[in-house]
Amino acid sequence: MKKVIEGSQGVAEAVRLARVNVISAYPITPQTHIVETLSGFCSDGTLDARFLKVESEHSALAALIGAASSGVRTFTATSSQGLALMHELLHWASGARLPIVMAEVNRALGPGWNIWTDQTDSLAQRDTGWIQLYCEDGQETLDTTLQAFALAEQVNLPVMVVLDAFFLSHTYEPVDIPEQEAVDRFLPPFAPRFQLDTANPCAFGSMVTPDTYMEMRRSIAAGMEAALELLPEVEERFAGIFGRRWAAIEPVRCDDAEIILVTSGTVTGTCRELIGDLREKGEKVGLLKVKLFRPFPVEAIRRVLAPARKIAVIDRNFSFGASGIFAQEIRAALCNTPGHPPVFGFVAGIGGRDVTKDVLEGIYRQTVESDRPEREDLWIGLKEVPDALEHP
Amino acid sequence: MAKKPDPVPVSLFIPRSYLTTEGNKTGSWRFLRPRYEEKTAPCSAACPAAEDIGKIEMLAAQGLFKDAWEAILRENPFPGICGRVCFHPCEDVCNRGSFDEAVAIHVLERFLANRARRGVFTPDLKRLAPKRQTVAVVGAGPAGLSAAYFLTLLGYRADVFEAADEAGGVLRWGIPLYRLPLAILQEEIRRIEETGVRIQTGNPISQRDINTFIEGHDALFIACGHGRSAQMGVPGEGLPGVQDGLTFLREIREGTISSLGGQAAVIGGGNAAVDVARSIIRLGGSALIVYRRRRRDMPAFGEEIAMALDEGVELRELLAPVAIRDSDGGLVVEVQPMQIAGTDTDGRAHIEPKGKKTEEIRVDRLFTAVGERPGEAWYEPPTEGNGVLRLSHCVLQQRASGPVVYGGDLTNATKSVAHAVASGKEAAMALDTFLAEGIEAVQPRLAACRVGEGPALSMEIYMHGPRSERSFHVVTSDEINTAYFQFDPRVRQPRLLREERVRSFGEVNLRISANLAIREAERCFNCGLCNQCDNCYLFCPDLAVKKDSGPLGRHIDYDYCKGCGVCAVECPRNAMILEEEAYEEGD
Repeated sequence: MKKVIEGSQGVAEAVRLARVNVISAYPITPQTHIVETLSGFCSDGTLDARFLKVESEHSALAALIGAASSGVRTFTATSSQGLALMHELLHWASGARLPIVMAEVNRALGPGWNIWTDQTDSLAQRDTGWIQLYCEDGQETLDTTLQAFALAEQVNLPVMVVLDAFFLSHTYEPVDIPEQEAVDRFLPPFAPRFQLDTANPCAFGSMVTPDTYMEMRRSIAAGMEAALELLPEVEERFAGIFGRRWAAIEPVRCDDAEIILVTSGTVTGTCRELIGDLREKGEKVGLLKVKLFRPFPVEAIRRVLAPARKIAVIDRNFSFGASGIFAQEIRAALCNTPGHPPVFGFVAGIGGRDVTKDVLEGIYRQTVESDRPEREDLWIGLKEVPDALEHP
Repeated sequence: MAKKPDPVPVSLFIPRSYLTTEGNKTGSWRFLRPRYEEKTAPCSAACPAAEDIGKIEMLAAQGLFKDAWEAILRENPFPGICGRVCFHPCEDVCNRGSFDEAVAIHVLERFLANRARRGVFTPDLKRLAPKRQTVAVVGAGPAGLSAAYFLTLLGYRADVFEAADEAGGVLRWGIPLYRLPLAILQEEIRRIEETGVRIQTGNPISQRDINTFIEGHDALFIACGHGRSAQMGVPGEGLPGVQDGLTFLREIREGTISSLGGQAAVIGGGNAAVDVARSIIRLGGSALIVYRRRRRDMPAFGEEIAMALDEGVELRELLAPVAIRDSDGGLVVEVQPMQIAGTDTDGRAHIEPKGKKTEEIRVDRLFTAVGERPGEAWYEPPTEGNGVLRLSHCVLQQRASGPVVYGGDLTNATKSVAHAVASGKEAAMALDTFLAEGIEAVQPRLAACRVGEGPALSMEIYMHGPRSERSFHVVTSDEINTAYFQFDPRVRQPRLLREERVRSFGEVNLRISANLAIREAERCFNCGLCNQCDNCYLFCPDLAVKKDSGPLGRHIDYDYCKGCGVCAVECPRNAMILEEEAYEEGD
């Protein structure tokens, strides 16, 4: 059934349909309507889940680690500072191989205090062992949340479903909400490969010596590799039931493209329009949408980008002292390909600033006109500001 | 529908252990040792009768009213009386007072006594095996009755000899009915008799009886009280129309006075003066209290003074009577204005005449209430000498035929019912120790029974009850973890309206409901006492707090306690202690 709902509400609908058992969240800013909607579902009986209102995001994830260890389906949602506070436990969740699903609304980190969209919060957690999926619109967000449970439970790794603040979390769009019966076919009850069991007591997460630790870390890496292989299968199964298909990466008119723009999140939608316009004018331009950031689909990306003349990556995030984070990853993916195209790393839309079609066209033009990038980071639309703080 | 994918064996190599970690005795890491140690609540140390108030409120908060009432009876045979007339020094030191407001301990004591009365509770009290010795008690006032009650619990036969027709002493003849209804007094005396105490009323004791130990008793307790009013030493004191306050109060209680018109003056600043003035108002007269110092210097309880003024009693401060004269069927009191000049050695304000000009006050009658004296000179306890021990609330004298203890108002500096109870209790302990172990044992034994720094003494400790396990340390307000308490206003004592009070001798204070009482008792911090809140159990990161069936309900497993101290810090009421681990040489 199609309904006009917010991106946040779409996540909540997916969590309801996934028949999650335990939800744990800290309910103040930078929280979103996701847990607000879910707490409503729990209190009115729409969803038979235990909703834990905890005292911090650190505790929110800690509670889910306990719940997931007992073999039930778990969910939380957070943003920016809240995700940062979870950092220690992000590592724990993946190390313990717990299939927790989290909706992560990309919000800028403070200070200055800013709750608008910015990807730095989730990208800063790239090494924590969480699968990360960046969504473009409301339907993809709902569908991806359902797929996240399937994927997480197959590879025993936690999954972060990432969506842009406001542009996606708070934007109303028509979204098809699947029937429960269909979702139940796609997502059967969680059958854990291990769980806390009083009949068979054991301790998880105990001390491990150098003799074994390395193999355990390699096992996590293997789980990530398996996720890369299994995501297309999950997509296939999903498409078979719901008729919709998303992908780890989506190339748009890249086959003969000389310049390929690389995007993630809601900027992709704007970029799709630009590509259409430019193609009508005869420009040989393509778009690569990257949805799966961890594990990073290096091979697939290399196949799409290597034949192009120039690559322009649009990053709504920044790693201080380096460059945009997607640009880093793209450069790393291409560097072993002889004669690979130069990668222009553009930084735009930080802290919720609009990335319009004009901004994107400017990026395209700059890429066309330059042989090589002048710097590793090309900031778009910066204003004049004082060089130093004036003392009163 | 898509083909179901073949299961892919995803690598899953995780730390998992089927071994117990109990072999790793992490308790060996400890250098601080937490320990359950119950301490002394400030209220219980301030209570002259040493009532275990923190415990009483804990029981009351659980609705265990009978247990709470019995906890009072272990230290004080008069919950109904003290719940009405006590000046409650406990509340002045309540640690909750520095948080929001002191717990209404006095109101709760009265509630528990009422509850016992309505439920017709029979107390279940610890009694020692009967002993062959007998003790004679002279005077059936609060001190004498208390001594007889505790001596009976300690196994003695106690015979009380009372000169008046009814027992009670000042409770029967001195305290007005609006503060203490007769039925309450009679019931508490009856309960003392039910423990086995024999009271012989109308049986005055002479000095000769004392010398024979009243026909061969093994020990004596003399608590005849201060039954005679002191003289002012002012000309005209003997005029008709001048009466002593104690006699006046007694006549009201005897029923010989039922109304009194006109303007009366009351000379004095103690409780007797206030009782006289408030009684005059109720009999239909007007009352003026004339006091030579200031209101703040009055020995009467502040609450009583406030209620007297509320009821229409007038107070004139810094006026000392110098002469009384007849005048047209009335009296003229000549008063000298006084002023404060420093402090006396006893801490009271020193006063001296202010100028030479005196003032005249015209009244219809005058009552004196300037202090009381023993009825007979031989009631006075010996001051010094061989075989004389001055105890905190008594004087013990070793005579050839046995021990004699003087107590009650005869020895107490503060004349209150609670102090009388303290005196009777101390006398019982002193006589028991004397008879069993001799005079040398008395003072060390009493010192071991003090609550906190004393001088209050606990009969439960004397009888080696659970209270004797507690430390003497009196819990201070900064030792309470107030994070666990919320601001909550104190229950208000409901009272008769002033218009109703001034018309009758009906009891001024009214009862509170059980749910209000529970709520008020829940406000108690239970300083130093474990109320099984389980914080230690919940917070222990090593699961080293174990529940058991012992009296405390829990113990610490030192094999695994690392000594982090979280339990002691999170204990809201300082019922735990953290000590440095004592390692032996070579460890």
